[in-house]
Amino acid sequence: MSEETKALESMIGEEYKYGFTTDVEYEEFPKGISEDIIRELSTRKGEPEWMLEFRLKAYHAWKEMEEPSWFNATYKKPDFENLLYYSAPKKKPQLDSMDDVDPNIRETYEKLGIPLEEQKMLAGVAVDAVFDSVSVFTSFKEKLADAGVIFCSISEAIKEHPELVKKYLASVVPVRDNFYAALNSAVFSDGSFCYIPKNTKCPMELSTYFRINNMDSGQFERTLIVAEEGASVSYLEGCTAPMYDENQLHAAVVELVALDNADIKYSTIQNWYSGDENGKGGIYNFVTKRGICKGNNSKISWTQLETGSAVTLKYPSVILQGDNSIGEFYSVAVTTKKQQADTGTKMIHIGKNTKSTIISKGISAGQSNNSYRGEVKIGKKAHGSKNYSVCDSMLIGQECGAHTFPYISSQNPSSSVEHEATTSRVGEEQIFYLMQRGISEQDAISMIINGFVKDVLKELPLEFAVEANKLLDVKLEGSVG
Amino acid sequence: MSEVAVKETMLNFISGEIDATSDSVAIKAINLRGRDALESTAFPTRKDEDWRFIDLKSITRNNFVSVSSAGVKEAGDISDHYLPESLNTRMVFVNGVYNEELSSIEGLPNKVIVGNLSEYGDHDAVKEHLGTITNYENDAFAPLNDAAFKDGAFIYLPEETSVETPIHILNIFTDSDKAFYATPRLLFVGEMYSKATIIEEHIGLADNVYLNVPVTEFRLFAGAHVHHARIQRDSKQANHVSRPIAMLDQHAEYHSYTICLGAKLFRNDPRVIQNAQEVDFTVDGLVLIDGEQIADTHSIMDHRFAHGKSHQLHKVVVNDSAHSIFNGKIFVAKDAQKIDSFQENRNLLLSEEGTVHTKPQLEIFADDVLCSHGATIGHLNDEEVFYLHSRGLTEQKSRELLVYAFALESVESMEVDSVEKMLLEEVIQYTNRDLKG
Repeated sequence: MSEETKALESMIGEEYKYGFTTDVEYEEFPKGISEDIIRELSTRKGEPEWMLEFRLKAYHAWKEMEEPSWFNATYKKPDFENLLYYSAPKKKPQLDSMDDVDPNIRETYEKLGIPLEEQKMLAGVAVDAVFDSVSVFTSFKEKLADAGVIFCSISEAIKEHPELVKKYLASVVPVRDNFYAALNSAVFSDGSFCYIPKNTKCPMELSTYFRINNMDSGQFERTLIVAEEGASVSYLEGCTAPMYDENQLHAAVVELVALDNADIKYSTIQNWYSGDENGKGGIYNFVTKRGICKGNNSKISWTQLETGSAVTLKYPSVILQGDNSIGEFYSVAVTTKKQQADTGTKMIHIGKNTKSTIISKGISAGQSNNSYRGEVKIGKKAHGSKNYSVCDSMLIGQECGAHTFPYISSQNPSSSVEHEATTSRVGEEQIFYLMQRGISEQDAISMIINGFVKDVLKELPLEFAVEANKLLDVKLEGSVG
Repeated sequence: MSEVAVKETMLNFISGEIDATSDSVAIKAINLRGRDALESTAFPTRKDEDWRFIDLKSITRNNFVSVSSAGVKEAGDISDHYLPESLNTRMVFVNGVYNEELSSIEGLPNKVIVGNLSEYGDHDAVKEHLGTITNYENDAFAPLNDAAFKDGAFIYLPEETSVETPIHILNIFTDSDKAFYATPRLLFVGEMYSKATIIEEHIGLADNVYLNVPVTEFRLFAGAHVHHARIQRDSKQANHVSRPIAMLDQHAEYHSYTICLGAKLFRNDPRVIQNAQEVDFTVDGLVLIDGEQIADTHSIMDHRFAHGKSHQLHKVVVNDSAHSIFNGKIFVAKDAQKIDSFQENRNLLLSEEGTVHTKPQLEIFADDVLCSHGATIGHLNDEEVFYLHSRGLTEQKSRELLVYAFALESVESMEVDSVEKMLLEEVIQYTNRDLKG
C-alpha cells in the first residue's frame, strides 16, 4: 500500500500527465467533408472500388441524418466542415524493428509509458500502434500468424482479406445506425482488424494504443474483431491525447462478432484530455461499440474505465442472438471538473437462455455530470433469459450531478430482469473509521473508492488494472475532503 | 388513426364546443387559461420521450364530446359503492358533475370545508391555490381539465384540525350515447398541522368509451398529514389520464396509493414537490391489468430542499396482451442534502403476449444523499408454485395465491377497512379470471 501510495502522491497536482505534442510532419490534406474529399482519401489509401462505394453510401446516408441531441450533455457542436478527415505521418516507413520507427514517435510512446519494446514482449502483448490514423508499427505478427490469427490495420485487411472485411464490416453497426457511425463509415481513416480462426485461442492479449496527435484531426477509428467458432480473444484498448484548446472529435466504431462457442473480451482505458478547469478544450468521445453473439454459447464482455474526454457518449452493447449466449458490461466512469459523461450499455436478448450482467460505477466530482443510460430488452422468443444490472453512483462535492436512465423491457414471461441502483457519497464515518486505524485521509478515501470500483477493475487484465488504479487516484486527487 | 392526425392538438379528438366557462371568477380564469393551452400544446407522439412506449390509439381514434351533449344516463342507485366509514363525508360526482343528492356531508369539525369548488370560488384558499401548482409543461391533457371543469371537490382544513373519518370523493361514470370527456377536479388545502384521509375513487358503471382527465391538487402546509388513496375502476373501454400533484411544506407528510384496475388506457403522472425541508412522502402504486389494457405511470419525486424522505413501491401484474409502462423519476436538486429516497418497481409478467417497460430514473445534484432504486421483471417462481402444489393446492390455486400475495402488500396500506376488503375482492376476481387454464 504505502509504496504504491508514494508513487501516487508523486503524481499529485499533475495536470494532464499525457499532455504534450510530438513534432512529426503530416501529409497535407484539405479540411472539410465532401464526395471529393472521400474519393481523395480512398485513393490515398489505395482502396479498392467497393470500399469507396461503401464510404460514399455512408456519406450520403450521413448527410440526411440529424445530429442527435437526446443525451444528457451540452457542448458546442463540432464544425464538420472545419475538421481534417485524414492525417498520416509523411514518412511511412516499412519496419523490421523498432529502430526504424521515427524517433519522435518512439519518444512519444516512451513518454506515454507504453512498453512497446522489450518490456512489452516480455509481457506477451502484441501492439498494433495507431499513430494518428495510420498504423506505423505492428509487432508479433509472425507469432500470431503461426496461430492463424490475423491482426493488422483495417486498411491492410481491406487489401489483403477483402472477403472477410466485406462479410463483417457494418454487419453489427449498420452504416445508418446513427449519425456518428455513418460519419465514421464515410471517413474512417484506419483502425484494427482481428480475425481468430476456428477453435483457436489467441496466444496473447492484443492491444492497440490510440493517440490523437494532430490538432483539428477528427479521429475516426474503425475496429472489427471476428471470433470464429470456438475461438477466444482478449483485446485491450487504451487512449491518451495531448493538451489542446480546440475540442476534438473522436467518433470510432468498434464491431465484434462472436460465432458459436466463441469468446471475446474487450477492455478499454480512456483518458483523453478532458479540458481545463473552466471546461475549455477536451475531446468529444462519441463512440459506437457493439458486439453480436451470433452463435450459440458465445460470449462478449466489455470492460471500460472512462476517465477522460470533455464529453463522452458511449454505449458498448451486446446483441444476444445465439441461444445460451452471454453478454457482460463492466464500467467505471469518472468525471471531474466540467466533464460530461453519458455512458452505459444495451443488452438485447433475442436467443433462448441468454444471460447478461451489467455492473456500472459512476463517480462524479467537481462540476461534472455523469449519467448511466442503459437498455435491457428481452424479446418475445428469449425464453429463460436473465439480466442482472447494478448501477451505483458516487458523488464527491456539491456541484456535480449523477443520473441514471435505465430502460428495461420484457416480453417474455419466463425471463427475469433485475435492476438496482444507488447514489451515495464517500461516508464520513467510513473515512473516520479508517483514519482512527492510522490511515491517512487521502489513503482512506483512495481505499474507499477502490472498494467502490473493485467489482469492475478486477475484470481488467492485470497490466491494465494497475494502470487503472493509478489513473483513478490521480484523477480524483484533491476532489475529496 | 394515421400518424399525421396524432401530431395535432387535443382539440383534434374533441368535437363540438367546450361548454361555456364557469360563473365563478376564480374558475373562469383557469378555464380560459386551459383553452389557450389546448390550442397551443401539441398532442404527444411516440417521439416524445415521455410517450415513447404508450399507444394512444384508443384516444386518437375517438371524437369526444362534452358531457352535456353525450346523452349520459342517470347514475341510479350507487349505494353499493358507498363506504361505511364515510357515510357522512362523501361527495359524489357523476361524469364530473357534482350530485348533491347522492352526496352527504355532515358533522364536520368547525371551519372544515368539504364542498363543491363552484360554490367556493371566493374562498381565499381557492383563489390562491387553484391551478397554481399544476405546472405540467407541454402537457396536452391537463389543459382539457382546466378548460372544461366547473364542479370539483374542495377540501379545506384549518390549522390544527383533523378529520377523523375518511373523506370519500366518488367519481361515477355512466353509460352514454356518445363518447365524452369528463374533468373531475380536486383541490385540497391543508393548513398547518391538519390531518385527513382522502379516498378518491373513479368507477365506470357501464362498458362505454369515455375520456377521464382528472386533476388533483394537494397543498400541504407545515406539519399537515394526508393519506390519499386513489382507486381507478373505470370502464374497461375508458381512457383515464390523470395529473395528481402535491406540494409539501416543512414536516408535511403525504402518502398516496394509486390502484389501477380498470380503463383500457390508464396514464398517471403523479408528482410530489418538496417545497421546504424535512418532509416525508410516499407515491405507491398497484397495477393489475389484463386483456388489452395499457397502464402507464410516470411519477416524479421532486426533492428541492434538504432532509427529505420519500418512498415508492410500484407493483404491476400483467396478463394477456396487456402492457405496463413505468417511469419513476427521483430528482434531487443542488443543495438538497440528506435526502433519503427509495424506489422499487416490481413487475410480474404472466403471459407470452404481455409487455413490461420500466425506467427508474435518478437525477441527483447533491452529494450527501442516499437514493436508490430497484426494478425487477419476473414470472411466478416455479419452486414456490411447486411447493404449494405439493401441499395439496391445485396448480391454479397455487398460482392464484402467489399473485394474491404479490398484490397484498400494496392493498394493506389502504388504512380504511372497507376499501381494503373491496380491493382484496378485486384482486381475487383478477386472479380467478386470469389464471384459469
